[in-house]
Amino acid sequence: MEPLDEDFDEVSDDLRDAELILLLRAGREDAFADLVDRYYDTMLRVARMYVATKEAAEDVVQDTFLGIVQGIDRFEGRSSLRTWIFRILVNRARTRGEREHRTQPFSSFQSGAGDDGPSVDPDRFVHEGRWSGFWASPPPDRMLPEAQLLASEMGDRLMAAIAELPDVQRTVITLRDVRGLTSAEVCGLLDLTEGNQRVVLHRARTKIRTSLERYFSTSAGV
Amino acid sequence: MHQPRMRCVEFVESITDWMEGELTDEDCSVIEEHMVICPHCNEFAAQLRTTVRAMRLVETTGPVRAPDAAREALLEMFRRERRAR
Repeated sequence: MEPLDEDFDEVSDDLRDAELILLLRAGREDAFADLVDRYYDTMLRVARMYVATKEAAEDVVQDTFLGIVQGIDRFEGRSSLRTWIFRILVNRARTRGEREHRTQPFSSFQSGAGDDGPSVDPDRFVHEGRWSGFWASPPPDRMLPEAQLLASEMGDRLMAAIAELPDVQRTVITLRDVRGLTSAEVCGLLDLTEGNQRVVLHRARTKIRTSLERYFSTSAGV
Repeated sequence: MHQPRMRCVEFVESITDWMEGELTDEDCSVIEEHMVICPHCNEFAAQLRTTVRAMRLVETTGPVRAPDAAREALLEMFRRERRAR
């Protein structure tokens, strides 16, 4: 029962990044297209939090890609490629949002907001007596096989569950769990404290788990 | 039988702090002890970890292609920038 070991993922990401950087510097259009396909959707979602309209977010993303192309020769690799990309994006989105006089999306967290209720429906726990606070209706007693999660239906369900999250939770879980940024990287990008980031991540992850649990129960006819 | 040091309702709120390695040794031992005695919370933790892994796999196996118009505009920008060098 060890916490997640993501070393392997990180090594393969670093290799992929290093190769991509070389190809981009060499002017390879296929590498740039790969970058666009890999990041466009996430970048648009993150940008959308800071600016008023989808069109403004598209402008910010376009401008960010221009910044990437113009800056890739000077990129020194002191952060990962994805952190560098999202830093450019968030800086530009924030500047645009401030020009539009929009409230910054994470500002409410500085006062400790963002805790939107328990991670598991309270009715699933015993309410009274000696076993108060223990499971009354426990999670289904079977592992969710990753192979099944990746089968198209489950993959779609996972993406839909992420899409249904409130903005802040969706952004944090996308950067952390889908894109693989570290906690420190996400806190730095979004101006969140480590504690607030963990609260948001916890809410988001437990909601996704609940959503998949429901899906499994339905599909299994339970 | 002794009442466990942690209840399930508290376990489900602490699991991310544990997964993130942010608990003190004492709190770690409380949560790990609970996982040993409670198969349901053990399952809850396993499901949460699988959920996290699955999200990572979605990214590596199924990138969402950018919309055609935006993609083409970006590729055109790339070509323009390369020519300008």
